[in-house]
Formats: sequence, C-alpha cells, structure tokens
Amino acid sequence: MPGVPGVIDRREALRRTALILAGVLAGCEARRTPAAAWRPRVLDPDQAELLATIAEHILPETDTPGARAVGVHRFIDAMVAESYGAEERHQFLTGLGGLDERARRARGRAFLACTAGEQIALLGELDRAADPFFRSLKELTLVGYYTSEPGATRELHHAPVPGRYDGCVPLAQIGRTWAV
Amino acid sequence: MIGKDEPYDAIVVGSGITGGWAAKELCERGLRTLVIERGRHVEHGKDYVTEFLQPWQLAHRGRGEQELYQRDYPIQSHNYAFGETTRHFFVNDREHPYITPDDKPFRWIRGYQLGGRSLIWGRACWRWSDLDFTANARDGHGVDWPIRYADLAPWYDHVERFVGVSGERLGLPHLPDGDFLPAWQMNCAESVVKRGIQRAFPGRHMTLTRVANLTQAHLGRGPCQARNQCARGCSFGGYFSSLSATLPAAQKTGRLTVITDAIVHSVIYDERRDRATGVRVIDAKGAASEYFGRIVFLCASTLATAQILLNSQSPRFATGLANSSGEVGHNLMDHISKAGARGVVPGLEDKYVYGRRPTGTYIPRFRNLGVRGEAKVGFLRGYGIQAGAGREGWARGADEPGLGVELKQRLREPGPWQISLQGYGECLPRHENFVDLDPARTDPSGMPLLRVHCAWSENERAIREDVKTQGAQMLEAAGCREVVTYDDDGPPGFSVHEMGTARMGKDPNTSVLNAYNQAHDVPNLFVTDGACMASSSCVNPSLTYMAITVRAVDHAVSELKRSNL
Repeated sequence: MPGVPGVIDRREALRRTALILAGVLAGCEARRTPAAAWRPRVLDPDQAELLATIAEHILPETDTPGARAVGVHRFIDAMVAESYGAEERHQFLTGLGGLDERARRARGRAFLACTAGEQIALLGELDRAADPFFRSLKELTLVGYYTSEPGATRELHHAPVPGRYDGCVPLAQIGRTWAV
Repeated sequence: MIGKDEPYDAIVVGSGITGGWAAKELCERGLRTLVIERGRHVEHGKDYVTEFLQPWQLAHRGRGEQELYQRDYPIQSHNYAFGETTRHFFVNDREHPYITPDDKPFRWIRGYQLGGRSLIWGRACWRWSDLDFTANARDGHGVDWPIRYADLAPWYDHVERFVGVSGERLGLPHLPDGDFLPAWQMNCAESVVKRGIQRAFPGRHMTLTRVANLTQAHLGRGPCQARNQCARGCSFGGYFSSLSATLPAAQKTGRLTVITDAIVHSVIYDERRDRATGVRVIDAKGAASEYFGRIVFLCASTLATAQILLNSQSPRFATGLANSSGEVGHNLMDHISKAGARGVVPGLEDKYVYGRRPTGTYIPRFRNLGVRGEAKVGFLRGYGIQAGAGREGWARGADEPGLGVELKQRLREPGPWQISLQGYGECLPRHENFVDLDPARTDPSGMPLLRVHCAWSENERAIREDVKTQGAQMLEAAGCREVVTYDDDGPPGFSVHEMGTARMGKDPNTSVLNAYNQAHDVPNLFVTDGACMASSSCVNPSLTYMAITVRAVDHAVSELKRSNL
C-alpha cells in the first residue's frame, strides 16, 4: 500500500510549515490585484465606493490601516457574490440602496455627496437604533477587517503557532486582543 | 493483484478510531490485515491542505459559503468542527443521503476518508466505570453489560499509554483515573469559578478535560502546538488520530494492507462452515469485488456497521447477519447536549491567556451516583458538564453600538470573561430507536439507503432541565453575573456519540455480541465500534471503543491460535 502516513518529527513539521507558508504567500501575492484593477462581482462602482466609505467610517485609519485600505469592501463583495443566496443578495443590495435614500431624505443628496460628518451622523443613528441591515454590514466589516493581515497582525495580536498554552498571563504581556 | 495475499488473516472494515486500533493490534500480533476504507486516501501531513492557512488566506475568511452549505452540507454544517478549513473532511450530504421521518430528524455526522472521524473528533478521553456498566442491570433499561470495569481496566491502560492522554487524577470511583500526561491549564476565570462551585457544592469538581492532545512529546508525536485547529489535521501529530498514530504503527509491522474508495456492501457468510469468510466491496467505479479473511472486524461506525449487517442477507440470516436476536439496528443512542448556562465572570480585566487550548474543562457527573444522602432527582442516570471560559474578542463589536476610532480602540482590548457550561447527558437504550434499510431506494453505490428512526425520551428531556437549573445555580454561586440558561435543542446525532445498534449482552436472544464483541451467531465476526455499546454512559465514548477494540483483538487472536475460529 503506498504511503500510509508516517509520523513526522517536530523539526520536519516546522520545515513544512515554512515551506507551505512560503508557497501560500507567494500564491497570495500573485492573486493580489492593485486597487485600480479590482472589479467587483456584484457591486457596481458606485456601490463599491459607498461600501468602502461606510466601512472606513466603521473602522477608520488610525495608527493602523483602516477598512478601506485592507479591502473590506472587496471581501464583502466576494461574500455577497459567492456565499449569499439570490434572495439574501437582493436584500443586501436593497439595503445598500436604502442608505442612499435615507441620505436623500435627511440631507437632500446621495450618501456619498454628504460631508463626512453628515455621513457619520447618519450611520451613528442607524447603529444606535440597531438597524438590522446596518448591524449586518457592521459585522461583515469587522470580519473583513480583523481577518485581514493588517487587521490580525498589526491592529490585533496573532500567533499562528503558539506552541504552548498559558491560562493566566498579564494582559499587558499580550497587549491586544487575540485575532484568533 | 491482491489475490495472492488472500485469505487475509483479518479484515477490518473502517479506518476511523476503532478500525485504526484494530489494525494496529492485529498487525502487531502477527496477523496479515486488510483495512477497507470507503473514503479517499488521506496522507498524514501532506493532505492537511488547510492546516497552515491564516484567516486572510481563506477565500471567505472562515465564514464559508452559506449557499453551498445549505445545498450540499445541510447536516454536516451543524457540527462545531465544520467550516471553510475542514469541509473536505466531512461528507457531502447530497451525495450521501439517508432517510429520517419528518418528525424525527437525526443528524448523522460523517467523514469518509482514511482516518474517518478520528481526524475531526473532539478528543475527550474518559474511562467509563461500573456506575455505567451496571446501569442497565440496576434500572432495567436495555440489557446488562456482559463486562465490568475490571474487564476493561487493563485495556484502558493499554490504549491510554499509546494515545497519550493529558489530564488530572481525581480519585473519583465513577470517573476512573489513568496514567496521564500533564493536564492543560485552567485559565484565570475557570480557576475562580472552580473554587466557587467547590465552596457552594462540595463534591462537584471542575477539572481539565482529559484529552488526546499531547502536552508533551509522546512516542515521537507532538507536542500539541496549542492552535486549536485540530480538525484541519495536524502534521505535528499533536492529537491522536488513526493517521497520526495507529495506522503508522500497523504499517511498521509490514503486515498491513489498506484499500480506499472501497465501500463494503456486505459480509460474506458461508452457511456450511457457519463463518464469515470475507466482504463484498464496491469500488469508486461501481465495480464489485470480494476480499477473503479468517476473521472480520466491523469498525465502520455505529450506523454504517448496522447498515452492513442488515444488508448481509442469506437464507439463514434473512433479516441481516448475526441478527437472530432481532436487535441489529436497534437501541440507537446519542448524548444530549446543547443545553446549559452562561454567565460573565467579573473582574480579572488585567488577565489574559497565551495560546489556544484545544480543550475545555469538565464537571464530572454528580447526580445518581448511588451515594448516601444525595439529592433525589426526577430522572435516571446522569450527565457531565463541559465548560470553558474565555475573554470576548473583536466579534463582540458587532452586537454593541459604537463606530469609528472609539470602536476600533475598544476592540483592541479583549472584552469581559465569559463562561459557558454545557451538559452531556446519558440516553437510555430503547428498542424503538432504530435504523433499518429502505426496501426500495439505494445510494449511487447500490447500498440500500439507511432509515434512521430516533427521538429523545422524557428521561433525556428531564436531564436537559436539570443541566440548565444546576448550571445556572453553580455559576451564580461562583459569583458570575448575567447568568442565563440556554437550550438549543438538537436532534439525536448532534453530539456525534451515536451508539448501540449491535449491542453486547449475555443472552444471544436479546443481544448481538458477546463479552468479547464476537457475534453470538457468527464466531469469527467481531463488532467493536460504537454499535457494540449496551448503554451510553454520560461521558464521551471513544476511549471505551478503543479499549473494547483492543480487548476484542486480544481475544480474537488467541481464539484463532487455538483454532476456535
């Protein structure tokens, strides 16, 4: 019988880790398209811009990149295109359109035509009212951001292979929320 | 190609946790052994294709594809270990159907690959005790076990030494100790709750789950790297599986043959000799073939083993092989779970954890122990509680108001410590919970579809209620805040502890297997997976399946040497 698995030692496992990670990252790099070349799957360019703007208001650039820079809108576009069913997809796009209508009612212009302050005020109202569409958008934004490489490794703390478990350490020693 | 080796000394059907053990022990005792696996070949390490992927390298960041799950994995996707990184170790429900009545759902969680569900199991390793092995005799449900703890104790030792089980010795008669590797650590919040429970409820101990994750290197495997992503596969061999441990040991003997993509259709029975002579197999292309061996071990899993037996029909066994008792397929059990209590552990804001512990904590059974002065309760048997605490992470932000810099800064720090208690309760063996074969419909390989008829009884419902009440009381007594109970009532199968469809017993009229897992009706046929269990205990069953398997192999080999098979 060819290759019932043998046991590999730790050094071998670590070597493989390095190889696999190198391979995967190389693959990732190859797929990484510059922002200008990105084409959304379900969003039109205006919707993509709207989404990127909202995501950035939810998690803005500080001493670490914000949601726009890490491409949260691309992640959301992929989820809506590939994970959502037709009905959910329709609901999502309707919800996004609803934000624009809300801006027109409140400010007399499209969301993106409002000032940043007006946009934030509008999103704040929806957030405090626990508006279901906005809260789901917020959740997607959080997922997209904190699972991105900058989100996980710069904004938060990430240890792919911790190697051990310590059940009670000073928070200061870790410093930040664990990404995973 | 394989014909020259036949008949094999032994044929093992299935390569999961019991098939792996049967293969190892049979090979090490000198038998040329054929393992037949219905799923694909998986090579340890190389085929753990998602093992080292980071969240940002996953197409859907771990969220998966919901539409696909609903279409192809409506059952498997309910399992806690199912997800974007592990989907390839679960079956496609659409391609592998079974039948349940509309009012009796059953969640059959399966992994069709070399190693079976040992790749995706929960890894808890508890010994059963005489409280379990005498349970049927004491309250009259099911049939008495033909074995007691003393019969299994040396075999528990044997399997634990090889597996490498970490845990604490507790000295409890109803949860016997073994020779453990160092336990995982409790975290700060669990330690606080443990002390609180002990103060308020003397005799209720919280301990670390005894688990097949290696806290130190063991027999060339591990140690566990504290990633808590076991079900992706672990090339460190940090947890026990057929691929990390038993099959390599079997292979080392030079006596192991493995075939994959081979579905066992039935066991071949020779009426003249009154023996099983081999198995009929259907390969991936639908071609049938036969393999012959001197003894046959069914380790295909509780439901699949029942399906094979029921489908092995002959003039003598018209309703299925080894089924003169009529009990094959019956007495299906699982554990109740998904009920308990949650709360917030106050304080400890300046404390955190390093690493991801691949297990939780556990409160052993404290009901119906048969000790003087214990509380009277309105149900039979008992439950244990799986527990775990941790600080909330960034995901809490989705449910709280807040936006912008303030939100981002807030989520940079972990949230409050949460603790959750979840009961795992014993299920009574009942004849009316059973599987049978659909008389008309078959799967693509031509196997009659399995029909599962299984529902909880009042006793299981009463256990759920007590879990919730006691869980909440313990958390409150330990000083937790915002304590709430929960009950995400899951149908049977949910706990993936299905067992009982070919039970052991003393009487051939009421049971399928004897004290050594030999079919009463067919002496060279052995069943050592979960099908053999006569009751369900409340603790996780895998370690007991393993001990029962190696004991059965020991018996089978000595009987073979005495020419009794």
